[in-house]
Amino acid sequence: MNIVVLVKSAVDEAELRADTAGHPVLKGAATKMSNFDMNGVEEAVKQKESNGGTVIVVTLGGAEAKKAIKEAMAMGGTRAVHVLAEPPDAPDSLGTAYFLAKAIKRLGEVDLVVCSEGASDTYQGQVGAMVAEFLDMPFLAYAKKVETEAGRIKCEQGFEGGVRVLEAKLPAVVSVVSEANVPRYPTLLQVMVAGRKAIEDITMASLKGDDYPETGMEVLDITLQSANRKRVLLDGSPEEASRKLVEALRREGVL
Amino acid sequence: MEVITYSEDAGLAGEVAAAGLDVASVLGADAVAVELDEVSAGLRSAGKALLLKGDRTLEEDTDSAAAAIVEVAKARDVRAVLVAETKFGTVVAAKVAARLRVGSLGMGKRLRVDEGRLVLERDAYGGKYLAQVAAKMPCVAMVQAGAYKAADARPQLLDALSVNVGDQRVVTVETRKSHRVESDIKSAPRIVSAGRGFAKKEDLALAQDLANALGAALGCSRPLSSDLGWMGEEAHIGLTGVYVHPQLYMAVGISGQLQHVAGIKDSKVIVAINKDAQAPIFQVADYGIVGDLYDVVPALTRFLRQG
Amino acid sequence: MKLFGAEQERVLGSLYGAEAAEVYGALLRSLSVVLEEKVAPLSLALDQGKEEIDKPRRVLFEQGVCKLPHASEFGGMGLPFGVYALAMELAGAADASTAMSLGIHNTVADAVERFGSPEQKKRLLPALLSGKKLAAFALTEPSSGSDARAMHTSAVWDGSQYVIDGSKMFITNAGEADVYLVFAATATGHGAFLVEGANPGLKVGRALKEKLGMRGSRTAEVRLVKCQVSADALLGKEGAGFEQAKQLLDSSRIVMGMICVGIARAAYGKALAYAKGRELFRKKLADMQLTREKLAAAAIETSAARLLCMHAARLKEAGKPFSSEAAQGKVLATEMAVRTCDAAVQLFGGYGYTSDDVHRHLRDARLLTIGEGASEVLRMLIASQELERES
Repeated sequence: MNIVVLVKSAVDEAELRADTAGHPVLKGAATKMSNFDMNGVEEAVKQKESNGGTVIVVTLGGAEAKKAIKEAMAMGGTRAVHVLAEPPDAPDSLGTAYFLAKAIKRLGEVDLVVCSEGASDTYQGQVGAMVAEFLDMPFLAYAKKVETEAGRIKCEQGFEGGVRVLEAKLPAVVSVVSEANVPRYPTLLQVMVAGRKAIEDITMASLKGDDYPETGMEVLDITLQSANRKRVLLDGSPEEASRKLVEALRREGVL
Repeated sequence: MEVITYSEDAGLAGEVAAAGLDVASVLGADAVAVELDEVSAGLRSAGKALLLKGDRTLEEDTDSAAAAIVEVAKARDVRAVLVAETKFGTVVAAKVAARLRVGSLGMGKRLRVDEGRLVLERDAYGGKYLAQVAAKMPCVAMVQAGAYKAADARPQLLDALSVNVGDQRVVTVETRKSHRVESDIKSAPRIVSAGRGFAKKEDLALAQDLANALGAALGCSRPLSSDLGWMGEEAHIGLTGVYVHPQLYMAVGISGQLQHVAGIKDSKVIVAINKDAQAPIFQVADYGIVGDLYDVVPALTRFLRQG
Repeated sequence: MKLFGAEQERVLGSLYGAEAAEVYGALLRSLSVVLEEKVAPLSLALDQGKEEIDKPRRVLFEQGVCKLPHASEFGGMGLPFGVYALAMELAGAADASTAMSLGIHNTVADAVERFGSPEQKKRLLPALLSGKKLAAFALTEPSSGSDARAMHTSAVWDGSQYVIDGSKMFITNAGEADVYLVFAATATGHGAFLVEGANPGLKVGRALKEKLGMRGSRTAEVRLVKCQVSADALLGKEGAGFEQAKQLLDSSRIVMGMICVGIARAAYGKALAYAKGRELFRKKLADMQLTREKLAAAAIETSAARLLCMHAARLKEAGKPFSSEAAQGKVLATEMAVRTCDAAVQLFGGYGYTSDDVHRHLRDARLLTIGEGASEVLRMLIASQELERES
């Protein structure tokens, strides 16, 4: 089975700092593989282990994305394709999906494309469905469980109210949620071997055609949302603390 | 010129219709709520509604819903497609944007028009930052539940249109509704939220008692809905779930990871009850009690009942 | 706490150059995630006797930490010793007992790789490196710790086998180990013998229950009572034992030093977080001058200890003599770890005194100025090397 897994190198929000004006210092910010993408990689590797075949890791991002790609390789990727996109030129979700789809089309016959529910840093959940559109493949979203057999895919999708069981013919694109699996920890040996594998670099320019969609998307501003909470700790016995809390909430006018 | 709005959920359809009306009035356009298969009985909108029908159920899957909306968007002078953010809506928005080859601004809480572009205000980087993102029109955007208030009126119905959508490629073979603790948090003024501090599903009764005493709705953090299945997805509050902005938010047994906090930042007053003094939730709470929820919650409930 | 951070990246870079540092960094970063998520969370419970000793150790074996410095011929990864040393700093920060247990086990693997016959290597190394077999290092005796040459345990050749008699004390992994490296006096000096744990002549005493720290490892007396072993249990030459022990300890001192750097970082990390949050006299504890002095001292000493140990590691990698540097690194690292962990307890005030989670780091570090070469002995070693230098 030829499996593609889409991985994003995301900003590590825990390490992200703000400047004095409250804007995030994105240049040189620490990055990591988007958390949910680890579940995507795990799912892709599991499918490879059940069905045989290859897992090709495809990423669009800057130079620092190599780190995330190598982590995906260490988990069981066979090879990797890196579409280079440095920050001022980094495309929006539609542009990203366009380039990812073009990169995937170059790979020849693909049976399954796995992605995650959204990026851990920007979480909009658009790219997976858009890639499916560009590839003209069915899209199965928010999968908790994925099964493939004899050219078909079946998955369980969590939605507000319950679970749906979906089916479609392969090739298809499926996005997994974090509850789908527990991502494996690669051994040091797997990390070392993965580190030695070559990653294929491609430029956006080489993939861009006349059909590239110009959306004019622009981020006008990003500013810190101040927390400014009172952080009052109410101590004492459960009864005393409860009394103090109720008094405070009455004063706040929310009770 | 039109701004079309859509949601598969009647309540949210009213909210996104209000957003549509807001944007449309700035543009001098008409706000049109697109309804698929039938006009929902509960639809509330001060604008107009358009009914779409096809030779199969349009709301059956995201492909047919998106195809129907795209047909309308292409046939009429549509400046923006606004979709209410749900799992279904998120996929529909992405597909509509891709098929129309226009920008998808993503999911946010406020829309405005600035120099001919649609601007969406949305959370960024785990909810710590607020971003203003703009795209040229036509474009697609998603509105989060509770960000806009639905109007009181029933919409004025325009035509019913027939649309042609392709074959169904993703089939729902089964739908399973689980027995869960009920919840309706989207616009609740007070919310009690349960996290991993609760040892078993039955213990949620403590949280429910507290919620009842407060006149609050019951919600939860992601593990309780998605992992443990104790509550439904609609109760899950956080970055990848529902964004709430109640007057009072009480987080019980919730550690306060960024993913959860992203969904509650706009609450007026946040209260945290957790036995771990180091839990990050205390950094974002107005009032906190460090203690075992199994002791504190019943005591608090009793106190509230005594008035 | 992030175990592999900018600090470690910079050290890697300046010691190994940017290209190699990226490769080694990827390994250590991956290891630190496993340590943070699967080992560190068990650490307090391990100290309190509420967790299985083998559980976190298994994680380290599965990751392949033991394999790092060993030749690939028998399942090792063939990486520079310094990379292993840095890995042990991270392991020490995650859980000191587990790191120490593993480090001592790996000293035995080191012994087999260096001094073993091809048959011994084939028989034991793959199992030791994968953790399928656990090892213990039995040199110290009830009446001879620092004065190792004065050991009473003897191995007598009776014509067809060796018979070992004597007792060893404070042996880490005793009772769990599958193989013990037992040092004994022989006719020609001292010898190192690989004795199976199942050997009826090897008897393990009760686990020592009153240890101040390192409670996540098992320590006991081991008695050899007419313990019979065949000739192929002898590692290398019959008289080479003492020299072998010296060489093995030189390397293990680097590791113990780096484990202490890890312990100091763990304590320091907690103290730093606390100081940022704690308020007094309408200021943050972190704003007080005397607090800042302590934090600076911890930073200075931790950096210095790490670099001194790594210097010894780099000398070893280059095949140069490194005994003195290893001893220096161990003295500095172990003593500064005790100072730093003690300062952390002080910073936490009453909470430091009354929380296992704070004072266990001090209790763990306290062993290592004693074990693997007491500071006093090491200072004698360093001084005698200084005196031998041409002035």
